[in-house]
Amino acid sequence: MSLFDKFQSTAVQYTALKNAVGRDPFSVSMDEMKGPTRAMVKGKEIVLAGTNNYLGLTYDKDAIDAAKDALEQSGTGTTGSRFANGTYAGHRQLETDLADFLGYKHCMVFSTGYQANLGAISALAQAPDDVILIDADSHACIYDGCQLSGAETIRFRHNDPENLDKRLSRLGPDVKGKLVCFEGLYSMFGDVAPVKELVEVAHKHGAYALLDEAHSFGVFGENGRGVCERDGILDQVDFYTGTFSKSLVSIGGFVASNHPELEYLRFSSRPYMFTASPSPANVAAATTALARLKADSSMRTKLWENAKRVHSAFRQFGFDLAAPESPVIAAILSSREEAFMAWNFLMDEGVYVNLAIPPGTPNATSILRLSVSAAHTTEDLDVIINAYGALAQVLQKKSA
Amino acid sequence: MSGIQEDDDLVFRKICSLIEPLNEKGVKLSRDTDLIADLEVDSVAVLDMVMDIEDFYDISIPVNTISETKSIGELVDAIHEIKKEQA
Repeated sequence: MSLFDKFQSTAVQYTALKNAVGRDPFSVSMDEMKGPTRAMVKGKEIVLAGTNNYLGLTYDKDAIDAAKDALEQSGTGTTGSRFANGTYAGHRQLETDLADFLGYKHCMVFSTGYQANLGAISALAQAPDDVILIDADSHACIYDGCQLSGAETIRFRHNDPENLDKRLSRLGPDVKGKLVCFEGLYSMFGDVAPVKELVEVAHKHGAYALLDEAHSFGVFGENGRGVCERDGILDQVDFYTGTFSKSLVSIGGFVASNHPELEYLRFSSRPYMFTASPSPANVAAATTALARLKADSSMRTKLWENAKRVHSAFRQFGFDLAAPESPVIAAILSSREEAFMAWNFLMDEGVYVNLAIPPGTPNATSILRLSVSAAHTTEDLDVIINAYGALAQVLQKKSA
Repeated sequence: MSGIQEDDDLVFRKICSLIEPLNEKGVKLSRDTDLIADLEVDSVAVLDMVMDIEDFYDISIPVNTISETKSIGELVDAIHEIKKEQA
């Protein structure tokens, strides 16, 4: 019995598919970046449509300059955690800026978006008294946060406030704290949560609502404050979590709240206390990208224009799309094999998207997940749309 | 005693009927059948199947319990336990 036995069946399946198409979808190497939407892959220029670069700011001059300055001024890394080794002025500034932007009183910055949810959930809920209720399609960091907390965790049906209501009603009287977790925009299918209803149900039962706006921050709402801004409940969310690695084009994450007790997490959240704080350059890039996002709504306008164009073109080609239009556009394929083949076909056509196949996908679906960027040029979109058009023809021929 | 046995059998049969669509290999289902190892069902599919069970019996089965449950028999026992608690 070896430690590695458990990987065997997945490994065999994976290798077979990889060999069949001659490429590995899960380790594509961008040999050289050519800007926010292009990269060289094995000597060929590819249009990147599998990123989370929604506002397209990865090469923003202001953000790059700020990161360079921070690097020169404050060094390459912090070499420790804020709890043990100290906070830099940049960390505080970014927390203040985020809180101001969102209209919350408190904000804590984490080293990754994954750790923001991991750190918030694991510290807020504790076994045996508290219960966490999570949307069934929650991101791995929410599941892992629950596991790290050790608290009883109950899934409710995806985007289903009624089901959440039922599950909260079933809880016994001895449950002390209740935390309900869900996301604004789901990253794989691109569907949006009924955040207003979910928050209402949570509060009706005396539960706290934690909303992860990782993919919707900068994308939804009049000012880019997320789905909860769009739906008018920005001030009702108990814990607003987000990331710097998407619209804010850096790496790191945050939790914002109006509860002053959020500050307690600084000495109780293990993923905050026992890891190095974000590097000065990362913090400066995120701070500057946030300022850009605040000052200029044209990127968001462009992003939605691009998303609408791609979504409507794909629909005309007859693709089975997982959700109404948003910058995440997932086409559902009929099988793992077909999705693998389609992904490879798109690479041949010069387009990189994300392949998601079971295990681990909701309802065991196989999808090609594409994300639109404000930085996609008309020409980039032409390449993407033409490639999907050609793919639609190939798939039809196959099924005919 | 016999009442419990019969009820046990009903829960067992209900679970089998929900598992059957996932049982691609046509494994003969018993209390000892391991959901993941024997049926080669992925863990997300198990969670989704459990959600149907929860709705049917109007109970909530914590994720923590599901991850400790390997066989169909263990799942049946867990459901009885929770039905008692949440009744």
